[in-house]
Amino acid sequence: MKFQSQKVAWGFFATCMLLLSLQVIYGFIMAFAHAGYDGLHQWIPFNTARATHTNLLVMWLLAGFMGAAYWIIPDECDRELAWPKLAWVQLIAFVVTGVTAVIGFHFNWWEGRKFLEIPRPLDFLVVIDVLLFIANIGWTVWKSPKKSTTSMVLFFGLLAAALLYLPGMIPTDNQTVDSYWRWWVVHLWVEGVWELIMGAILSYLLIKLTGVDREIIEKWLYVIVGFTFLSGILGTGHHYYYIGTPKYWLMVGGVFSALEPLAFLGMAIYAFQMAKKGGRAHPNKVALLWTLGCAFMSFVGAGFLGFAHTLPSVNMYTHGTLVTAMHGHMAFWGAYAMLVLAIIAYAMPLMTGRKVYEKATAGFAFWTSNVGMTAMTLAFAVAGVTQVVLERRAGMDFLTVQKEIEVHFWGLILAACLFTLGITAFVFDFIRYGLPKAPLQPSSGGEPVEPPAAVLPSAVAVARS
Amino acid sequence: MLSKSAAKAFFLGGTALTSAVFLSLTWDTFQQIPARTNAAALTDSVKRGKHVWEDNNCMGCHTLFGEGAYYAPELTKVYERRGPVFMRALLKDPAAMYPGQRQMTNYHFTDEQITDLIAFFEWSGKVDLNGFPAKPTLGAPAQHEATPVSVAERPLVFSQLCLTCHALGGVGGTVGPKLDGVGTRLDAAYLERWLNDPLSVKPDSKMPKLPLDATQVTELVTFLSAQKTQEVAQ
Repeated sequence: MKFQSQKVAWGFFATCMLLLSLQVIYGFIMAFAHAGYDGLHQWIPFNTARATHTNLLVMWLLAGFMGAAYWIIPDECDRELAWPKLAWVQLIAFVVTGVTAVIGFHFNWWEGRKFLEIPRPLDFLVVIDVLLFIANIGWTVWKSPKKSTTSMVLFFGLLAAALLYLPGMIPTDNQTVDSYWRWWVVHLWVEGVWELIMGAILSYLLIKLTGVDREIIEKWLYVIVGFTFLSGILGTGHHYYYIGTPKYWLMVGGVFSALEPLAFLGMAIYAFQMAKKGGRAHPNKVALLWTLGCAFMSFVGAGFLGFAHTLPSVNMYTHGTLVTAMHGHMAFWGAYAMLVLAIIAYAMPLMTGRKVYEKATAGFAFWTSNVGMTAMTLAFAVAGVTQVVLERRAGMDFLTVQKEIEVHFWGLILAACLFTLGITAFVFDFIRYGLPKAPLQPSSGGEPVEPPAAVLPSAVAVARS
Repeated sequence: MLSKSAAKAFFLGGTALTSAVFLSLTWDTFQQIPARTNAAALTDSVKRGKHVWEDNNCMGCHTLFGEGAYYAPELTKVYERRGPVFMRALLKDPAAMYPGQRQMTNYHFTDEQITDLIAFFEWSGKVDLNGFPAKPTLGAPAQHEATPVSVAERPLVFSQLCLTCHALGGVGGTVGPKLDGVGTRLDAAYLERWLNDPLSVKPDSKMPKLPLDATQVTELVTFLSAQKTQEVAQ
């Protein structure tokens, strides 16, 4: 860790660990309900568990992105954060808003709009909070003479993510219009600007972990995010097949969303190529494992499984079934959860000076959680495909089919136990890392204290810490 | 070999181009939405119904237009499938209408809220969804030729209410017993007493007293009595 203010990332990462753990618990509540055991129904009905599960995910991923930005931006810009104290205030405000929303879900206080359930008054707090974050990051970049591609892509990704939250707040009486704008937030986040953030964080990690020349990595970063937007923006059309929008979206959405896997494939090939090319033996092997794992699993989950039901003729039958849950779980895990865990795995040793990545639990956390998530995805796939065939193709009654597929949720629960074991190991390691230490070269104010990061190999940074 | 500035140009150019196309299509979509969604029929009741739908996060279990969660039935065509009588009864007391099944929270809706929700579903069922949800293509599992079910004489209330829990000819729910051959097993007088109030006939029955008027009961008794065929051997 080069700068005092990078410490604030620890607060965001700790928030991630807490919210992720809670998210897993709510996942179990839903899995048991699907398996026929909804004993908590009176206190935590399914819609509460569902809103909590998905919103905790969004919250901890955003916290992870913010933490990553607070870690990466000072490093890339070679200066302290503009306002370190504001970053802490912003973290606390973020957590308070999020916790209030989640508690509200348990008292029927929400906006029943998938993924955007946070009640309207809290939406405004989220906007203010994110603006503070953007201002802090933006001012740091602005004040720095060094504007690396990685930091610029990261900044604009975060800025665009903040702006794209706004269409979700447009009031309307028409369900179709409501849905239309909702996907501007949800789709253009996860299959658009979040991929900018992902590309930037991956680039940063690859530069640090592989030692490949920055210029090469950043050039390919542009190519990857170029493909992402080329396919992803019009790919939004795959949400506009069957919600009351014109028929041409079947064509537009079908063609462009079918191209989306290419961006993810490109990302995976790029990450593996860079790792191979670099040949640097960075001591933090687990961080590289998470980085490459993220690139690979995002291709499988978001790219391949997304493609599996994105074509209109397939989607006609899979739309609104558990097949979506299958794709959703591995896509979010591969693309974004693993990304945040990768930056945490990379940053923690530098922040705390401890080398927990050498312990057996570090590798165990990676493999167990990934095998667990793969098995969960398979369980969802079997349940989803069975549902599609029986309910959508053969016309069987909804509840009858749900009883038929209950058994697959026991499979899901078993797989989820494995996954949870991996996550527990990760959280355990996070706790073992302890609190961040002061940087080795204490800095004062916003003055750069080290030579530009580009010429500072990260191996040296690790050795120093 | 591709240079960094060329890569940057590819990114910026591609993004600008697709964004422009996306915005134009969005503009065109908004021109078409009023007609496609029958926006003229968006009465105040429908609008209030949408709020009830959102305020209680119905999407947290159900899907509408295929969007939401996968824990409870898709509701786009629910008005056509179940009709207002069933919907009203269910929204009043969900547990009574699906005894012993996956639970729905009782939101204690007022009569006006229920009216609004039903109006909302009636509206959403008529939106042009490009053919979604598709009709089952593998054919209903058992349109048994042996079962003389004349669609013409089948009362609407039978399809909307009875089939929710019971099956006839392999179509319907599995909450209650099958109705194939029910006319052979039970006589008309019993059926009439049963339909008027199941609990007075069999106090431990899980079947609720349904909101049926006298005409509907008569129609149902006639129809059920006509189901003489023995259940098809499975």
